[in-house]
Amino acid sequence: MNIEKIKEFITTIPVNKVCARDLMAFEKTPRNNILAVVIFSFLAMLVVGVAIYLGQGHHAYNVTREHPWGLLIAVYIFFVVSSTGLCIVGSLGDVFGFKDYELISKRAIFGSIVTILAGFTVIAFEIGHPITMMIYNIASPGLTSAIWWMGTLYGLYLTFMVIEFIFLLKHDMKMARYFGLTGLLVGLAAHSNLGSVFGFLNARPISNGVFYPTYFILTAFITGIFIAFILMGFRYKLDFSEKVKTMLTGLAKIQALLISILIFFVTWKMLTDIYGGMPNRAEVAIHILGSWTFWAEVILAMVIPLYLILKDMGKSHVILFWASMSGMVGIFFMRYNLVHDTQLKPLQMLKTREYQVAPEWIHYFPSSTEIMISLGGLGLCMAMYYVGTKVFNLDEDTKEVK
Amino acid sequence: MARYGMALDYKNCINCKACEVACKEENGVLLGADKHRIWVGVKEIEGEYPLLDIVSSTFMPSQCQHCDDAPCEMVCPTHATYYDDNNVVRVDVDKCILCSYCMNACPYDARYVDDRTMTVDKCTFCSDTRLERGEVTTACQNTCPTKVRTFGDLDDPDSEISELLRTREHFSLKANLGTKPKLFYLT
Repeated sequence: MNIEKIKEFITTIPVNKVCARDLMAFEKTPRNNILAVVIFSFLAMLVVGVAIYLGQGHHAYNVTREHPWGLLIAVYIFFVVSSTGLCIVGSLGDVFGFKDYELISKRAIFGSIVTILAGFTVIAFEIGHPITMMIYNIASPGLTSAIWWMGTLYGLYLTFMVIEFIFLLKHDMKMARYFGLTGLLVGLAAHSNLGSVFGFLNARPISNGVFYPTYFILTAFITGIFIAFILMGFRYKLDFSEKVKTMLTGLAKIQALLISILIFFVTWKMLTDIYGGMPNRAEVAIHILGSWTFWAEVILAMVIPLYLILKDMGKSHVILFWASMSGMVGIFFMRYNLVHDTQLKPLQMLKTREYQVAPEWIHYFPSSTEIMISLGGLGLCMAMYYVGTKVFNLDEDTKEVK
Repeated sequence: MARYGMALDYKNCINCKACEVACKEENGVLLGADKHRIWVGVKEIEGEYPLLDIVSSTFMPSQCQHCDDAPCEMVCPTHATYYDDNNVVRVDVDKCILCSYCMNACPYDARYVDDRTMTVDKCTFCSDTRLERGEVTTACQNTCPTKVRTFGDLDDPDSEISELLRTREHFSLKANLGTKPKLFYLT
């Protein structure tokens, strides 16, 4: 009886039947053609990158004993931050009941699913033994490990997001709200745990502390809004209806507030890092201030989007679409910097007392395999999203709410 | 059960690296692998020829500190890093997923990837070899020509290491982090 009900529940999920020919039947405009070529190229890179990795293992990466986390960790964080952000944006309408934002709920929740799947794909090729991880994550859980909590909660989060999305497709808003709220809370817990992976590192004074667990939630929301602009820009080909414009203006105003808070946070983080000249922290912060990737993060993710929003309080939606593109490039640098800067300072094997000056900085630049797998993750994310737009109706439902 | 630790009379170290060789031989560490399990840090001579300050040069043997509050053990998501019955920090290679979190969390840079097992390895105080055979010595201690290292049970008040720590001034590396290392440098 129960199996029958489950069968019925699954078979009544509204999906469009599509075949490969339907997927290729997109409007052959220059923009679409370029996007298709980009997605296929990235997917091809994923195949090549994974093939090299399977042949050479971690030797295909430029990670070292001194810098064990590289680009793939940064890209994983980039994707899961995007997922959490889209979950927050999607929840504005279907969980918290803000009517203006309901029209993006389904699209954002679907986006949160594909981004986290892309993140899981990338991390699968960074973790040395992913199958062992799945077994011993359950058989021998390390409850004092932030990675364990992060991974486990993200697994639960993905489950809740999928269930919420199904209820959204079925237009069962009540159940979608329950699962959406649970998924949001689990997602926020997972995401702040990801921040604590860095925050718990007593050995790394530049990262240690409460900053990252809270900063991750803030930057997730910011990332979610950037992606919301990009998704809506592609959906409406930058020709927005009044209803969409109202929503985007609202999101832009929230974004201005969030970026302002972020600038405030980062400024004080840098000042407290440098103030007093605490060894292992102050010189790392000063080194970070001298790196171009930090300024890429500041200019692309903070200054440009904030300036363009404040110019006319979020009414230039097309310009804000491009500002969001800039913002996402900046967010990528933000993630890369987070991972790299944590490991900048050598752990000083030769030291005899506290605070001996380290001999030099740790250098790292990703290998071609790491870059190919990372771009492949992006290609996979875009491909899954495109297929989703064909299989599911991601627009707002207009029929009566159940 | 014991609580093993090691005292290092590091000023006696002559940097002959016999300890590194003995460790490789005893524990099957890859030949040529640099700074795996144990190493000798070198503080170069200060000054410029001919005004060299010869006594400024010191050798600092080091390895996993076998902390009582080991960050690598706490951050391990699968308990691959664990305390054995002798309070030695060990690695279960079957459970290690190579997430490298322990490498990032260890303040002493004592963890490295073993290219043969593709897991994160470390010094085990010869637990798989000598201790398992019933010997209360480590290969590095046993081979040291100047008797830099003293290995023993910290909970045994009559052990040589307990006596040394009672009678000699000593310090631990990065003691401010609260990891409670069980490697003690005698001054």
